[in-house]
Amino acid sequence: MTLSEIANGKLAPRTGIKLENISKSYGNHVVIDDVSLDVEPGTVTALIGPSGAGKSTFLRCINLLERPDSGTIRVAGHTIEPGKVINAKDLAALRSTVGMVFQSFNLFPHMSALKNISFPQQKVLGRSKEEADERALQLLERVGLKDKANQHPGRCSGGQQQRIAIARALALDPSIMLFDEPTSALDPEVGLEVLAVMRELADDGMTMIVVTHEMQFARDVSDTLVVMADCKIIEQGDPKAIMSDPQEARTRRFLRAVLER
Amino acid sequence: MDAFSAVLQGLPMTLLLTVSAFVIGIVGAVPLAVGLSSPNAVLRLVCRLFVDLVRGVPIIVWLFLLKFGIQIGTFKFNPVGAAIVGLGVVSIAYLAEIYRGGLESVPRGQNEAADALGLARSTTFYRVLVPQAFRIVSPSIATYLTGLLKDSSIASTIIVAEMVFQSQSFARQHPTVEGILPYVLVGILYIVLSLPVAYLSRSLDARMRKAVYA
Repeated sequence: MTLSEIANGKLAPRTGIKLENISKSYGNHVVIDDVSLDVEPGTVTALIGPSGAGKSTFLRCINLLERPDSGTIRVAGHTIEPGKVINAKDLAALRSTVGMVFQSFNLFPHMSALKNISFPQQKVLGRSKEEADERALQLLERVGLKDKANQHPGRCSGGQQQRIAIARALALDPSIMLFDEPTSALDPEVGLEVLAVMRELADDGMTMIVVTHEMQFARDVSDTLVVMADCKIIEQGDPKAIMSDPQEARTRRFLRAVLER
Repeated sequence: MDAFSAVLQGLPMTLLLTVSAFVIGIVGAVPLAVGLSSPNAVLRLVCRLFVDLVRGVPIIVWLFLLKFGIQIGTFKFNPVGAAIVGLGVVSIAYLAEIYRGGLESVPRGQNEAADALGLARSTTFYRVLVPQAFRIVSPSIATYLTGLLKDSSIASTIIVAEMVFQSQSFARQHPTVEGILPYVLVGILYIVLSLPVAYLSRSLDARMRKAVYA
């Protein structure tokens, strides 16, 4: 079985997401300046760019961890306008459609790996403990960590914690997964385990948006490469085309810096 | 009657005051701690004022105010009631501040992960934040409890017959060298009583550490 089949019992309904004219500032400091992004169902979008470009903030706007000042989010039949009042039903629908993986894992340190994955299923989806535990074990096995089920996160390596975090997000049957620099806190070697899981997920047809500095992953796995700089998207399209022949000077400068290191 | 028996007569009252005030504090501090870190500025201000007011005035003054300053209809506090309410309210204020510090020291990512998973606010609070905060603050709570045990002696000033009160009456009846004895004994008793609290706190802390990192 594939990762998303395990997560969903059957294949997930493929969902895309449309973000229109998202803007966000803190006081006078603009962090996202009128950014639109259309993510097709079942595709992988890699979001790259220099630090401070607003990549992570933009990603966090997608599931409203950051509240954009204006713009529209269209997902799974819901239209959400963050500048206005968001009703609880739309927010719940958004959060249940979109799963997220963080740079610093953010596992719950007082729960075992199994409980980290099982507990949210019981609370959010109302699954029974048995059902949730079974699903959690399947996912742990799939990310190669069944033997860690009863360990607390503090006893797992960074790469293991990140794979547990991915399993935790998948357990809630998301149709879209957001990754916020999932390997930046890991040794390069350990990061590979995490990238392997993400690659597999992409092959399953999960819709993914990945903020990353892993250029090889962006080139080989993503369908769309989006380059952000200075709070805007400056270039987007086929990853190989952009990497070999960037149109913007700012993209060229950034790519040279990351690729020729 | 010898000095030791005199002091021991006050032991049940000391324990009653300490335990009652502590229970009031432990429970009552929860909503106050939530108010102290509320996004609602007015609520936050009201809670902050309450905490600063209660902590800013010496306990002995609160006990006198409750005992002699309050008369509603025919209702007046008896000494024990005034002592329990006074020490309880003071405990609420101190423990709320301890809780708040604990809640704020839980990393922000925990809240974000819970939000991203779609957990309800109350689930996040009680199942994610509180267990982690409790681990952080349990030594401070134990320290507060040993302090409260000793502060309960202030109730002697409003004629509550706890250990220090009994020591004083014995001393008054024995105006010789023997009169100093109950104070020595009561001092030792306070130390002995606070030992199990310190021990319990340490073993609880060690056990929780093991539960999290094992």
